[in-house]
Amino acid sequence: MTTARFDELIHPATRLSLVATLAAADWAEFAYLRDRLGLSDSALSKQLATLEEAGYVATERRLEGRRHKLRARLTAAGRSAFEGHVAALEEIVAAAGLATG
Amino acid sequence: MDPVASQDAGEALAAVAHARRQVAEEIGLPRGYWWAMAAGWVVLGVIGEFGPSWLVIVATVLFGAGHAALASRLLDGRRGSDGVRVSAVVAGHRTPYVVVGMLVLLVALTVAAALLIDADGAGHAALWAAVVVAAVVGFGGPEILRTLRRWVRA
Repeated sequence: MTTARFDELIHPATRLSLVATLAAADWAEFAYLRDRLGLSDSALSKQLATLEEAGYVATERRLEGRRHKLRARLTAAGRSAFEGHVAALEEIVAAAGLATG
Repeated sequence: MDPVASQDAGEALAAVAHARRQVAEEIGLPRGYWWAMAAGWVVLGVIGEFGPSWLVIVATVLFGAGHAALASRLLDGRRGSDGVRVSAVVAGHRTPYVVVGMLVLLVALTVAAALLIDADGAGHAALWAAVVVAAVVGFGGPEILRTLRRWVRA
């Protein structure tokens, strides 16, 4: 059972899309996230750093061939926060529907 | 509830659903799987055409065993892209059945094509049928799988 909890850190549009993408995956590479979200390298790095600082995202550098690739994944705390945030959003929408219906 | 807040919440939920759909688009099998399958199809066609029956049986068993070994790692559809590993929840559990169903259809297509080519009087019917189906698998495997998944809502 997910407890609804609005999360100010996750809610901004870019960060929400980033966390939602990671929530649908076991992990995603930096280039994949950058391309799907249409962000610059620096903007994505900044968002990932913010989420990592909060303990929501873990990143790891992997050597593939001659290149280092950055992988990001949602931590258990990040997944729980995301699910709580989505539940809170659904409650808001449901409450608005009841109020107007 | 502030109507702007509820509208904002609705838009946020739509963004979440969009992100999930984008990741789900990556469900599939690696391109190398389809080309390996196509190569196997041609090899079986060549052996079926020119080899002795015992070799056909051995090759078919080896092909099946090789596929089974690969399948246990790949058929869940979560490794379709190098850039992301789709979560098990998003990938669902129907993709392996869709892939196996697709392979059964391709075998049926190969047999039908061989019969048609043979009826037309052309030589090496089994080989030509295998080459045609191998081209379909190699070039169109990911797209066919995507379409089948959509049809069965997998």
